Amino acid sequence: MKKFNIILIIICFLILFIFLNKLVAPKYQTDLVEGHMISEYYKEEKNHEVIFIGDCEVYANFSPMVMYQDYGITSYVRGTSQQLIWQSYGILKETLKYEIPKVVVLNVNSLRYSEPVSEAYNHLTLDKMKWSKEKLDIIKASMLEEESIFDYIFPIVRYHSRFSKLTKEDINNMFTDNNVTYNGYLMNKNIKGVTTLPTKKKLATYTFKDNVVSYLDKIKDLCKENNIKLVLIKAPSVYPYWYDEYNNQIIEYANKYDLDFYNLLEKADEIGIDYSHDTYDGGLHLNLYGAEKLSTYFGDILKNNYDLTDFRLDDNVSSIYNQKLYMYNRDKGDE
Amino acid sequence: MKKLIVLALMVVLITGCGEAKKTSETEENKVYSFTYNNMNFVLGSEFDKSEYGNETSYAEVPSCAGLGVDKTYTYEHYEVTTTPSNDKDIISNIYLTDSDVETKEGIKIGDSLDALTSAYGEEYEKRDNAYTYTLDNTHLEFIVESDTISSITYYIDIE
Repeated sequence: MKKFNIILIIICFLILFIFLNKLVAPKYQTDLVEGHMISEYYKEEKNHEVIFIGDCEVYANFSPMVMYQDYGITSYVRGTSQQLIWQSYGILKETLKYEIPKVVVLNVNSLRYSEPVSEAYNHLTLDKMKWSKEKLDIIKASMLEEESIFDYIFPIVRYHSRFSKLTKEDINNMFTDNNVTYNGYLMNKNIKGVTTLPTKKKLATYTFKDNVVSYLDKIKDLCKENNIKLVLIKAPSVYPYWYDEYNNQIIEYANKYDLDFYNLLEKADEIGIDYSHDTYDGGLHLNLYGAEKLSTYFGDILKNNYDLTDFRLDDNVSSIYNQKLYMYNRDKGDE
Repeated sequence: MKKLIVLALMVVLITGCGEAKKTSETEENKVYSFTYNNMNFVLGSEFDKSEYGNETSYAEVPSCAGLGVDKTYTYEHYEVTTTPSNDKDIISNIYLTDSDVETKEGIKIGDSLDALTSAYGEEYEKRDNAYTYTLDNTHLEFIVESDTISSITYYIDIE
């Protein structure tokens, strides 16, 4: 009987512990919604021929809905805030467990960072990621000195101060949640054009670090092993500055390994981006109007160069995408 | 039931101890600051725009997930960036833009590496072209190209 009581207490403790962890974890539904993006992929039909990986320059700038509407391309943006290159590698590896796309598009902006940058961004990328070896690897590679792995395993360790700040959202969204993106694209309709930018500072070095290049190598190799075409891009965000020295290294890398690289920043005029109107924060990210122009432009590149299927002609896929498009257009304000 | 409540409290207390450690660091120690025309810019201190005259330009750089807005005030010879911290905009970065201004130890853009080490000593961390001196959580970074200082930046670690 005593043994039974102990087991009962342990079970109750575990249930309570799990409950408290669930309760206190941020839900990322109305605040810091960027933290929710990583999880939305798991609910998707895995039929994407194109997967985007990278930082905010992908999730803010590329709209899969436009690429489907204009070209019938099925794509998904697995972007997260300040996604570092080793995080991109882990997220790609995880993605390939679910599906093998024809094309992976990697935004190269993150190559400038060779070390973990911010605990807050780490959590936005990782809190809602499913547990897997890849997640564990990303955590190990991303943790700052003062962090502990328990911050990631048990939300209560990292977020216990939220006990006093719990809201209705924490109760309502403990076990359910709503998408905040459209196939990984985070819509923003605000307009704040580019006015002035900080001085372009000199850097101690412009050479990408070895650890960064080694992860780029891993992404390249992973794509090759899976017969996926890896496409490198630099999204047309005007800040932080994309130095010529960075660009030259990417061109050299792409030439060396026979990869395609599109510096879309250099194509801003051709794309039709009006930086006084098409960004929501002074040039760091495109708003809806800029993202749609870019997506039409880049969708055309994808369609013409990578043998993609026009899924508008596929009844099963089009019925799903038409529903998505309806919601996208409704939220845009078109319907 | 009592046992369960005690256990739950223990969980909260145990995990509570973990975070208390993280937020303990405060000023008190000496930090780097930049002085020009009797104006003193102390890294980590609250930026009061009215103390420093009119800037020549101003830029806002929001973080990519709404985690705050860095504000950059450009003056004639230097640029000051503030970062939000505990509901205040603190001075997080000072970038000297020409050789008309110098550090407290008299070092300016265009000076030699020898002049730098004579003034600041050999206790620097060298990474690539950067020579960085550290005081508590503040840093003074000199970029040296061909034995000549080409850039001077003060910055603070932001939590």
